[in-house]
Amino acid sequence: MHDILFELGSEELPASFIAPVLEQLQRSFQEGCKSQRIQHGAIRCFGTPRRLAIQVCDVADRTEDMVKQVQGPSVDVAFDAQGNPKVPLTKFAASAGVPIEKLIRITTPKGIYLAAQVEEKGRPVIELLPEILGKCVSGIVFPKSMRWGDLEATYARPLHWIVALFGSDIIPVVYADVRSANITQGHRFLAPGKIVLNSPQEYESRLEAVHVIADIEKRKKLLIERIDATAKANGALALKDDALIDQVANLVELPNPIVGTFDPKHLDLPPEVLIQEMQVHQRYFPMVDSAGKVLPKFIAVSNTPVRDEKLSVRGYERVLRARLTDGRFFFDEDRRIPLSEWLVRLQRRAWVAGLGSMVEKSDRIKELGAWIADHSGKSALRETVQRAATLCKADLETGMVNEFPELQGVMGREYALHAGESADVATAVFEHYLPRGAGDGLPTQDAGAIVGLADRLDSLCGLFGIGRKPTGAKDDFALRRAAITFIRIAIGRGYRFSLAAALGESVKLLGSKFADVKKAQTADATKADVLDYFRARLESLWREDHRPDVVEAVLSSGFDDLVGTQLRVDALTARASRPDFAEIVATFKRVSNIVAKQANDITSAPVDAAKLIEAPEKTLFNEVEALQARVKADVSSDNYANVLDYAFRIKPAVDAFFDGVMVMTDDKPLRENRVRLLMHVRDLLSAVADFSKLQS
Amino acid sequence: MTFQDLILTLQHHWANLGCIIAQPYDVEVGAGTMAPYTFLRALGPEPWNVAYVQPSRRPSDGRFGENPNRLFQHHQFQVLLKPAPKNVQELYLESLKMLGVNPMEHDLRFVEDDWESPTLGAAGLGWEVWCDGMEITQFTYFQQCGGYECRPVAAELTYGLERIAMYLQGVESVYDIEWVKGVKYREIFHANEVEMSKYALHESDPKMLFQLFDSYDVECKRLLDIELPLPAYDSALKCSHTFNLLNARGAISVTERAQYIKRVRDNARLCAKGYLTMREKLGYPLCKTPWTVGEQLPPLTGGVASDYWKTVSFQEKQAVKAVAHA
Repeated sequence: MHDILFELGSEELPASFIAPVLEQLQRSFQEGCKSQRIQHGAIRCFGTPRRLAIQVCDVADRTEDMVKQVQGPSVDVAFDAQGNPKVPLTKFAASAGVPIEKLIRITTPKGIYLAAQVEEKGRPVIELLPEILGKCVSGIVFPKSMRWGDLEATYARPLHWIVALFGSDIIPVVYADVRSANITQGHRFLAPGKIVLNSPQEYESRLEAVHVIADIEKRKKLLIERIDATAKANGALALKDDALIDQVANLVELPNPIVGTFDPKHLDLPPEVLIQEMQVHQRYFPMVDSAGKVLPKFIAVSNTPVRDEKLSVRGYERVLRARLTDGRFFFDEDRRIPLSEWLVRLQRRAWVAGLGSMVEKSDRIKELGAWIADHSGKSALRETVQRAATLCKADLETGMVNEFPELQGVMGREYALHAGESADVATAVFEHYLPRGAGDGLPTQDAGAIVGLADRLDSLCGLFGIGRKPTGAKDDFALRRAAITFIRIAIGRGYRFSLAAALGESVKLLGSKFADVKKAQTADATKADVLDYFRARLESLWREDHRPDVVEAVLSSGFDDLVGTQLRVDALTARASRPDFAEIVATFKRVSNIVAKQANDITSAPVDAAKLIEAPEKTLFNEVEALQARVKADVSSDNYANVLDYAFRIKPAVDAFFDGVMVMTDDKPLRENRVRLLMHVRDLLSAVADFSKLQS
Repeated sequence: MTFQDLILTLQHHWANLGCIIAQPYDVEVGAGTMAPYTFLRALGPEPWNVAYVQPSRRPSDGRFGENPNRLFQHHQFQVLLKPAPKNVQELYLESLKMLGVNPMEHDLRFVEDDWESPTLGAAGLGWEVWCDGMEITQFTYFQQCGGYECRPVAAELTYGLERIAMYLQGVESVYDIEWVKGVKYREIFHANEVEMSKYALHESDPKMLFQLFDSYDVECKRLLDIELPLPAYDSALKCSHTFNLLNARGAISVTERAQYIKRVRDNARLCAKGYLTMREKLGYPLCKTPWTVGEQLPPLTGGVASDYWKTVSFQEKQAVKAVAHA
């Protein structure tokens, strides 16, 4: 047994590629070994910006021996009447290298055959490794890869060396313009020479000696320890954003914290601005005091333990100083201008050709927001919503947001507060953008949630209306996300407005715009399209947690009330897990089918009790009558589970009806009456789902 | 080190390695990449190794000479090496040493920064090079240019000269950079910044610029039709600069913007196509020269594993990729 080391050395890889690609490497190595029956022990992964490596313990020298059964001729063909071997048999035995008397008989569907047990000796693993390792490297799928030189081969950045060792032997592997060897490299600047490795085991320690911490977790731990120690030495705490730690750990081979400072006069900038600048733009760790207040200090992480920190830190400080000076300039300039002036400037900013300026959009958000507030039981917030809507896009014109677009909303809030707007309005201005990305939660307050809903609905209706709906992969205005976010907010905050009515309101507000655009659709077509789009989003959203037929059944009986629709799909999924549910579905599908077939001839009308003759139809009628009021009450109080339970309750009566009553009788009045009775049965559940869409 | 010494040192370094030192291109561009020395020369099979300073105009960045870091026009030192030498990173780091930036005294880092220019239909993978947290160079392996795959791949290095000079001279404002002994950047360029910013941000005539854009657009296509890709490219550059002026003036709405960018990009693509056809007709004259810079490793041939991986695995890999992207 020997260990394997496989290291791919390249120019600096993107930090985010390292961990996922190591997983791929490990997986392809395991698969390669499995397919070749190579026994091996534990696998360790190593990764730095300049290397990806796996180290495998105890790899067998030979693949496992195996006994293979080879099928020969059938007994009929193999022997003559006297039981003597015929030519096909002797030939088979010779080719298998097994004497005839050692052959066995096996029974197959085609009859009895002779077979040989052939022992296959294991092969030397070293012969198989070039292919396995070659596949490991050529099989890597980077999120983005490149070509270099004039080669076809791709990698995330140009490849420079490959170490492939089996014990002390070099496994010959070639990829692109690189041939494997036993030579690795240390830290780019601290140990620029070549390092000859004698064995896989010494990899980690030899690299450590040349200033490379190859193990990612170890490097991360060291990074955190050093940051914490540095912060502590400065009487502060470091803000260690997880994603930033992961990123910085993979930006260095050896983490060396350096402390820098900035002019405390910048501390009156909003903390978001300071933190954003340090974390996102510079990948520095901000320092805060025990109360969480940002201090005028930061920790930068260097890849090189520089000779003189004072010299090196000048650079880190300089670049932050330039950014903060810029930020401060914008912050001061922006605040010098009254909000009303920003709104005037906003008139010049077109939203989308054909849909007017940002001010016009804000005005529509204002009206639509008020409507949503009124129809979600939030009329009390009308004024807050309207004021926030008016201001929600004003910060787009400010210098700060032009410079740092990711601060839109944050600056809107700050400038609104500065202008003396209420905290509620300012919060709504910020929150109407939420969630901005995967890391954000939904708005915490109603006003921002409502302004956000109105903004997104206006975008959807406006862009659909002028023929700019998303197609396939092309979604320039992120309308898919807008629709999904709309749904999440409406459901999350329990707003019960009618979706169709909201669409109608939005389209009405946009009305005059459509008249001016060549490709514009009619208001009705727009409404129908956007509604379909919402349906498709609900469908894909819910398919993650619900059966597709359940989703379809629920959506088919309407989704105008998003909150109710969510409750219905949840209720139906819960009931659908009951073992006897399939029978309920079968019964109600039968009801639906009969009704559907007769729907053209028979108008819906009350059942005429006088025309019910048979006992089962009378019983069914009584049960339906009794349930109708309860269904109505349960639906209006969102007890959809109860409604579904009535299906279980009424099933015996329905079954008895089918067993004992002839629906398709020649007597037309009787037939119509019976179909109408079935319509009422169907309608018991139709407020929850269309059972004809369920799989039985 | 004066600004001038900085330029001369870089020129000297790259000239010694075999680059031609070209002079700044004389049509307005937003970046050194747009000069034909890079954009067109990155296309096709011919070798090309060039270094030049490119004054780059960014109308939107005009700050009336009031911002210490931001300029209407700054200077890029642009290097294009095709094919990219295997030791291009080392050659680059050598150039920093010549500027007095010692890697044991500073944190030098290659941090992922892929570059894409929608207006040029160009894209590449690479880094921004950090010196103590400051971006001092953009380093890109060209993968695509004018919509065409780059074969062989060129390496592009773009040094931000003002930024490097400010750092080397320890000054806080670009205007305090010493250009030659006793003469500062302020004396040379401040008035230019003030006037150009006033022009671009307040005084330019959008009506005229829109007309110019249309005229250059038409002219570019006309020249391509009569197989004059080089003057056509000048018109494409004029379009691009005119668009930048309109943009700085706030005359283009968000949606119109995308359409104007598309027009600029389409022209760049057509010029790339025209240029490639022209070089092919000429028989790729530079291919007949032994012109290379740095280490150029021959691709490996022979050997069981390498043969195997050239045939089977590449297709397999494509299949895997197709699945991964589906």
